Amino acid sequence: MQLFKQTSIDFLRMRKAAYTFSGVLILAGLISLIAHGGPRYGIDFRGGTSIVLEFKEQVSVGQVRASLAKIGFGTAEIKASTSLRGAGAGSDILIRVEQGELSGEQVAEKIKEQLAKDLPDKSYEVLSIESVGPKIGAELRRAATLAIFISLLLILIYISWRFEFRFAVGAVVALFHDVLITLGIFSLLNMEISLVVVAAFLTLVGYSLNDTIVVFDRIRENLKLMRRENIYTIVNTSINQSLSRTVITALTTLMVLVVLFFIGGRVIHGFAFALLIGITIGTYSSIFVASPIVVAWQGWLERRKLHREVARA
Amino acid sequence: MRRKNLFKLVLLVVLLGWALYQLYPTYRVSNLEKKQKAYLGQLSRLVGVDERQLLSALTVGELEATVSAASAPLPAEARQQARELSGKLITLRSKIDKLEPKALRQGLDLVGGTYLVYEADLRQLARTLARDRDERFSEILDAADKRARAENRDFFDVMVEEFKARNIPLNRYYGRRGQSDDVIINDLRAEAKDGIARTLEVLRNRIDQFGVSEPVIAPQGDKRIVIELAGVQDIERAKRIINTTALLEFKLVREPDITLSVLQDIDKTVKRMRSKGGVEELAAAAQKDTAKTLPEGKKAQEREIDLSQLFGKTEGADTAKAEAAAESTIVVDQQTFEEYPFFSLLRYVEGTDQISVPEQNVAAIKRILQMPEVQKVIPRDAEFLWGAQPYVSRGQRYHQLYFVKKEPELVGAYLKTADVAFGGGESSVRAGQAEVHFELNSEGAKIFRRVTGANVGRFLAIVLDGKVYSAPRIKERIPGGSGRIEGSFTREEARDLAVVLRAGALPAPVEVIEERTVGPSLGQDSIEKGKLSAIIGAALVVVFMIVYYRMSGVIANVALALNIFFLFAALAGLRATLTLPGVAGIVLTVGMAVDANVLIFERIREELRTGKTIRAAIDAGYSRAFRTILDSNVTTLITAVVLYQFGSGPVRGFATTLSIGLIINMYTAIVVTRMIFDYITERYALTKLSI
Repeated sequence: MQLFKQTSIDFLRMRKAAYTFSGVLILAGLISLIAHGGPRYGIDFRGGTSIVLEFKEQVSVGQVRASLAKIGFGTAEIKASTSLRGAGAGSDILIRVEQGELSGEQVAEKIKEQLAKDLPDKSYEVLSIESVGPKIGAELRRAATLAIFISLLLILIYISWRFEFRFAVGAVVALFHDVLITLGIFSLLNMEISLVVVAAFLTLVGYSLNDTIVVFDRIRENLKLMRRENIYTIVNTSINQSLSRTVITALTTLMVLVVLFFIGGRVIHGFAFALLIGITIGTYSSIFVASPIVVAWQGWLERRKLHREVARA
Repeated sequence: MRRKNLFKLVLLVVLLGWALYQLYPTYRVSNLEKKQKAYLGQLSRLVGVDERQLLSALTVGELEATVSAASAPLPAEARQQARELSGKLITLRSKIDKLEPKALRQGLDLVGGTYLVYEADLRQLARTLARDRDERFSEILDAADKRARAENRDFFDVMVEEFKARNIPLNRYYGRRGQSDDVIINDLRAEAKDGIARTLEVLRNRIDQFGVSEPVIAPQGDKRIVIELAGVQDIERAKRIINTTALLEFKLVREPDITLSVLQDIDKTVKRMRSKGGVEELAAAAQKDTAKTLPEGKKAQEREIDLSQLFGKTEGADTAKAEAAAESTIVVDQQTFEEYPFFSLLRYVEGTDQISVPEQNVAAIKRILQMPEVQKVIPRDAEFLWGAQPYVSRGQRYHQLYFVKKEPELVGAYLKTADVAFGGGESSVRAGQAEVHFELNSEGAKIFRRVTGANVGRFLAIVLDGKVYSAPRIKERIPGGSGRIEGSFTREEARDLAVVLRAGALPAPVEVIEERTVGPSLGQDSIEKGKLSAIIGAALVVVFMIVYYRMSGVIANVALALNIFFLFAALAGLRATLTLPGVAGIVLTVGMAVDANVLIFERIREELRTGKTIRAAIDAGYSRAFRTILDSNVTTLITAVVLYQFGSGPVRGFATTLSIGLIINMYTAIVVTRMIFDYITERYALTKLSI
């Protein structure tokens, strides 16, 4: 079976449309990020206490909120989701309290006490309690950002060494593009960035690169084989030649991610979602963003050279 | 070509063997755990205690007590059954505990448990290390601490700056006159590092007492300690135990005659209680005042009896022959048992203060000592304490039991240092033997001088966290405030004891900065879902590969299967912790693992299209794809390494899985599939490649 025979699509011609598309996505994400005052960090990064209770029967968020308001947790974030045990079996309630004077276990104790008073007939089970100090949160945030930047720098160096600097620029721009768009979509959907999601972002960095490099490798190879052709044709041919690989790999990975997203359970939901978006965007960017940038950079260099020559003359 | 392939084949076989060896304990553990779950279910139905509660009782070694308490109102038969079951569970648990260090470690998100991060207060540490502390000093430290927190910087760096800003040399408070700031701050850093190591040691000691199997206690960075307690749900209890201040105390062992009379009183009490328990033939004996004569060291005729004889109705010694019995039997001198039910459990050498308890009897003794009636006969100013380590004599393990004065003569706050030393020449027996030397500060020395002077000939127990480490006899008044602890230590044991002594109290206060508990049902649920999605995801990819690449797809799938197998083996071998994101990483690997083969196969197809022969196309496909695979994997590896460097906890696990996965993937996708292709093309003259 073959999805693509020898294609000869003029991908580079679509680059303007692609730039616009990417631009709109990035802009929307940035606006959302600014409007929300930055990414919505999970408890890992923000500090605070989060408690997940599994009620045996249906309990509404309102009931829980009314009960917790009495002990000053009225502003707490309270979310309900269908129980892990399946629909109709009861409900899971997630309660998140911002960092305060109390330790995680004290918060949990107070909540349990109050619920026992107000909802004595509803039995529940504590699924998890997490509490992170504000300091560690700030540190994690710093470490995660630092990790992303350092890996970007190292990748820039590696690709410059293995290929040429212009390829490195294309790869890193594509990377930023992917991470920014994924982050933007997270913000648009008001999803939360947890430690696990950061892991997903870093996987995305690796994957997106992987994809881009396969195309670059082809370009590098074809630069030698097709000396007479201009860069535009070479890049286009290369993208076409590696197209079936790009699509198939994305497909197999997406298959797994879709499964993870739908049945992997709550804990890896965010992880699967980040990768689902990221890998779609990453596949798109390796075709429509990274390679066109290599061409554009080349074009810019040539123009600059030309200008200089004109100026000299 | 042939020889090269043979070498590859041998390598593959060796790798497979290694992988099987690595994974076998994990396989065994998971089987045993299934059995354990079944037993727990049975026991839970029998005694009506929640399964989870039973499990946590089992992990902290309180199952027997829990079960016997819960089964008390049940008929004898059910009680017997419950006892047998708990015996089986304990045996099972010990088997699992033995295997667990070799099995794949599962993260807390998978098994449930408690995760705590402690941070040492460096300011306090810097304060305790300083001398001539004054108002200004405290002020500087507070400022440094505040700034270090606000700016997220290294405390010592900021501290030096603060001193400099005020134009005060560090040697005003630390080190020697004339020492430069750099030297002093380096010393301080070293002290801080040592302090963390000591804190780690103290915490480990305390957690060991907690009885959790395989706790993770690891330093993180330069001032944090991460503690993971799998299976412990009670975070408060965990924190309470961890936070108890370790206390080093010196307590006088009570005089032999007092000890003896207390032992006799306990005997009487136990005997009276046994008779009340309904053992008729002993009822009469209980009326009589038990003789004060104690059995001299006559040849004891020993037999094993069931615990129920001591605590419940006597049902004959043969009732519990099952596995369970082995766990709950005690060793007694048969003749003395009836008369002296408590005393007969001990080995007491008259005239010394040494009481030894055979290991099998420890649980029984503990329970007797905890009985409220027994507590009443123990004098208020004294207590029983256990030795820290058992000793072995003629193949039998004994635990020491000490009867000491409650009020310590001296506490560890007066301790200055403790080091390992070796016995000098004054006694040929002790020469070259490892001992622990300790030194007290001047105030401590004064007290020590008085205590030793007043109690020559008596034994002084060195107690840490309620356990007696050694109890040397005071030979003479010790004036200098230094002493030594002798014992049959090995060099390592002596060192450990010195560490423990120094570690007695935490060098710096610690605070919890992060805590997480994961309920076991969330853990269980995560496993189920993770497993299911892994299986479905893998199945989809496998089917796709066969549909798309036919026979070659099958070969790629072989590589994929090997990939996953090796990955698990590597994780088990490295003692990596499998967390949920780790599972997700593995699942993702499945999706991405075929990438290398897709690259190769697409390339082969291209080469075939240009009209190359099958062999040539395969050769070209592999060699051309190899460079691409290498380049793309190296960049991913870079991110993984950076992740590992900067990440913590789950992120680190993920990075580990990712990088190992990549390397294994390169091997299986390139080398193994190539081997299969080579084998097929050499064997058969293919006219068409199924790709």
